[in-house]
Amino acid sequence: MTLLDVENLKVTYTTEDDTVHAVNDVSFSIDEGVNYGLAGESGSGKSTIAEALLGLLPGNGTVERGKITFNGRDITSLSDTERRDMLWEDIAYIPQSAMDSLDPVMSTGDQIIQAIQAHRSVSDEKARSRVEELFEIVGLDPDRIDDYPHEFSGGMRQRVTIAMALALEPDLIIADEPTTGLDVIVQDKIIDKILEIQERMDSSLLLITHEIGVIAETCDELSILYGGKVMEQGSVDNVLVNPTNPYTMGLKNSFPEIDGSNEDAVAIPGSPPNLNHEPTACVFKDRCPFATDECGDSHPDLVSLPNRNHRSACHHVDKAAQMRRDAKNPETWDIPEAEDTATDTGEVVLETDNLEKYYEQSQSLLSQFRGEDPDYVKAVDGVSLSVRRSEVVGIAGESGCGKSTLGETMALLEDPTGGEFVFDGEPYEYYQNSNLEEFRRKVQIIFQDPFDSLNPRQTVRKLVGEPLTIHDYRSDEHEQAIIETLEKVGLTPAEKFLDQYPHELSGGQRQRVAVAKALVLDPDFLICDEPASMLDVSLKVNLLNLLRELADTEDIGIVYISHDLASLMQVSDRLAIMYLGRIIEEGAVDRIANQPKHPYTTSLLSAAPEKDPTTDRARVLLDGEPPDPVDLPTGCKFAPRCPKAEEECWATEPALDESEDEDHRAACYFPDDETAETAVEASQTDDPDQSTNAGSLSD
Amino acid sequence: MSQFQRFLAKRLAISIGLTLIAVSVIFVVLRLLPGSPFEALVTSGNLNQQQINEIRALYGLDQPMWRQYIDYMVSILTFQFGYSILRSQPVWDVLEPRLVNTLILLVPALVTTAILSSALGMYAGWNRGSLLEKSSIITTTFLRSTPVFITAIFFIIVFAYNLELVPAFGMRSVTASPEGYVDTFLSIDFLHHYLLPFTVAVLYYSGDFLLLARNGIVEKRGSEFLKLHKAKGLTEMQQLARAGRNSMLPILTYFALRLGMIFQGLILLEVVFGWPGIGRELVLAIQQQDYPLVQAAVFIMALAVIIANLAADVLYAYFDPTVSTGGGSSA
Ligand SMILES: Nc1ncnc2c1ncn2[C@@H]1O[C@H](COP(=O)(O)OP(=O)(O)OP(=O)(O)O)[C@@H](O)[C@H]1O
Ligand code: SF4
Ligand code: SF4
Ligand SMILES: [Mg+2]
Repeated sequence: MTLLDVENLKVTYTTEDDTVHAVNDVSFSIDEGVNYGLAGESGSGKSTIAEALLGLLPGNGTVERGKITFNGRDITSLSDTERRDMLWEDIAYIPQSAMDSLDPVMSTGDQIIQAIQAHRSVSDEKARSRVEELFEIVGLDPDRIDDYPHEFSGGMRQRVTIAMALALEPDLIIADEPTTGLDVIVQDKIIDKILEIQERMDSSLLLITHEIGVIAETCDELSILYGGKVMEQGSVDNVLVNPTNPYTMGLKNSFPEIDGSNEDAVAIPGSPPNLNHEPTACVFKDRCPFATDECGDSHPDLVSLPNRNHRSACHHVDKAAQMRRDAKNPETWDIPEAEDTATDTGEVVLETDNLEKYYEQSQSLLSQFRGEDPDYVKAVDGVSLSVRRSEVVGIAGESGCGKSTLGETMALLEDPTGGEFVFDGEPYEYYQNSNLEEFRRKVQIIFQDPFDSLNPRQTVRKLVGEPLTIHDYRSDEHEQAIIETLEKVGLTPAEKFLDQYPHELSGGQRQRVAVAKALVLDPDFLICDEPASMLDVSLKVNLLNLLRELADTEDIGIVYISHDLASLMQVSDRLAIMYLGRIIEEGAVDRIANQPKHPYTTSLLSAAPEKDPTTDRARVLLDGEPPDPVDLPTGCKFAPRCPKAEEECWATEPALDESEDEDHRAACYFPDDETAETAVEASQTDDPDQSTNAGSLSD
Repeated sequence: MSQFQRFLAKRLAISIGLTLIAVSVIFVVLRLLPGSPFEALVTSGNLNQQQINEIRALYGLDQPMWRQYIDYMVSILTFQFGYSILRSQPVWDVLEPRLVNTLILLVPALVTTAILSSALGMYAGWNRGSLLEKSSIITTTFLRSTPVFITAIFFIIVFAYNLELVPAFGMRSVTASPEGYVDTFLSIDFLHHYLLPFTVAVLYYSGDFLLLARNGIVEKRGSEFLKLHKAKGLTEMQQLARAGRNSMLPILTYFALRLGMIFQGLILLEVVFGWPGIGRELVLAIQQQDYPLVQAAVFIMALAVIIANLAADVLYAYFDPTVSTGGGSSA
């Protein structure tokens, strides 16, 4: 039976000087018990569709036309009260950004109780015990329902929103990018959780995401959106295995593969269409390598392909097989094959030895009054790392493992609490006492969300010139320095951009301005902390290529911090895997990708979703969350979650050079490669998939 | 020592430091003023030099400056304010009723306006662009930019002289001679005198709260968590309540600070309405160079502001679950 039926939905936003045609005649329907995916790049209208379904469109958004039928009722014509009754009771919502979707000044439990009591008259105790039950279901500690959102990590907050969505056992759950910004392991677990619960409750799921890998693994059917239009639609197996639409082919190409193979991800060049007019030509025409005159005349209708659940909107569906073949070739997309430069790395520019950063833990108000001694969080706990010029060192790890703190400590934004730190031949003390200014110029850091770091009221000239003024650097040739830097980051001709404001730039261009801001001082060292986590694939690929190029041409050392292994593999020369404040494996990228030694690395690698729905990925779901960084086990920090842990592991902590291989170090007594078989024999708790799994990733 | 205790200790230390500085500044400023409180008495010929010297010795004014300073510090910090020179009455006996009169007028006014204007401001911010929002902003901006005595005089003309609804002047009728606070304040006569200055004070304070509340809501509108609240099926009013709770902190802080400043009275208001409050008393005391009285009054006012600041900080830390009272967090 059809649960939700969307027919010719059209949504526009009115802005000061324009009308944005965000969703244009989109139709799809979801059957009961089916998982439905909506995929597409940022700006393709995915969230707008979700918000239109839920009646959450902001004030300037209007549903122009279209019919949304839910359980036989037309929900566009509901009164406010009727709609309120339907929300959460029948359709629940998991919002895009769990980070700020929870009310910061209300305890998480109360927020869920509020959702329950808004619809059913249940006593406080009943509601509370229901919340405890829900916490249990989503894998959170039921004793923590009185905690506030900021006391949870990103992944845990997402679990709270999932718990909330389940509270009333709705028929349909709309999940808008439930895992964006979470690291792979958490993402994997969350998706797994959603599926498990939804199976049990027999509800339907509308999953919105730009990661087609996630859809491939979880959904039965999907629609691929572009420019507010459905480009391709149908069963996941058909659409993703045999795409018939050039856009789907391009989208599929742009996902980097984690296998160390040198097949670079190919981004679709160009930028998303301008949505300020009703589409008259194929919305993908400007970026489509197969476009013909016909494509300029009208947007193609969605036509069903014979004998299968598969629809595609392209004037040239009949040539799908040929296009599929051509699409594999980067030249089709007009991208020069990146020549693989074996980069020569220069001398060491930054080196840390046993670097430590401990934080005093915040306590509850009560124990603060009682004056109990605080505990310490060992955010960075003895990290030794060196970075050379022209080298990109990637730092990977789950959220909370201390990678951002490591970045900030390396940038001396945080004072190290122990260990050695040498930059450009001078120790930490040198910079701390009076030479900080010089250090701030030579070391630049790019933060998680460069979009927000650009002041909307400043022109590009101002934005990029600001650091020059602050540091009084190249003061007599400001303009020149700005122009040079803009050109360096690929904003050419630079003059054209100087007087523009951030909102007049596309996402990718803004990103480049943020990078230019860091580069204008000619730094020797660049620290990038998840600079691409909020970007969608094509922008991400561009940024990675830009950084790679800068490292090669400008002779700077780069540390790239991310939870996204795929991007790390693409950009880095060397990779360091962090777990609970320590580096547990370090080595050249292809060594780690092909022969991970540490069991943790193996599970990280296996958590990345597979974009091909026909291959079955063997998941190594790690048990539990990382242990409390305050109360660490004495032996190997990974032992509580390690499938190979033995007595020896619990006793003393393995050192990073345990494996006696200078170039590929791993802190594990039973590294995965040589000892794999013996370890399997020796331990019954071992996961038999483990070794085969590591292999399957590298083929 | 825990972080919160350290936070508290730090704030307390700062407050104590500020108090010492404030008290010293009062001392210096008063000594720098030309003339002495006895001049008036001398010129009127009531006292001869001999008597003046005695009195000066009585008040310790013949001592060297540093000695005066130490004595002054010790006594003021132990709340021994001494005798008023001109009224020959303990200073506290002079100040206390004035302070009570001021507080009884301004505290209820402040509380009323904090609640009403904040609620109105929140509602206005929620219905952004509505007629209510625009008119409330224009009205309060107008009230804020008009000096309070003009509003007061306007109200007096309209309600006291033209409509003759309430008396224009004083706190009690001239004929009333009440004993004690209860008798003074619990009477219809007092209420009559109270209404007008109370209303003007409410209006005077309303603008800041209204704007603060409105801006807070405008800033929170469209945030992600409100969207989720809406998706849960909460009514508009419930959503507004959540937005309100989320923008409450600045209002609370501002309220605490205002509360501290109330101890200064509203001089112009007290003068116009003939309200025997502390502001008026201070002006008189300064005119007559009644050192002990001025010292004590200014000290109480400064102390109130400092304590209010401290309270604001602690309240903030208490009501914002995300405020960590020191140092950073983990990655
Ligand atoms: N409130 C708004 N006012 C004006 N335009 C808007 C508004 N919200 C979204 N848009 C525009 O509508 C289009 C679709 O946006 P939408 O948020 O649905 O994209 P999305 O597919 O969810 O992207 P993402 O992956 O980044 O979340 C974009 O061009 C966006 O700029
Ligand atoms: S209709 Fe033309 S432009 Fe559009 S996707 Fe097909 S080939 Fe490309
Ligand atoms: S040392 Fe032991 S517990 Fe630690 S990762 Fe290796 S096998 Fe696992
Ligand atoms: Mg979205």
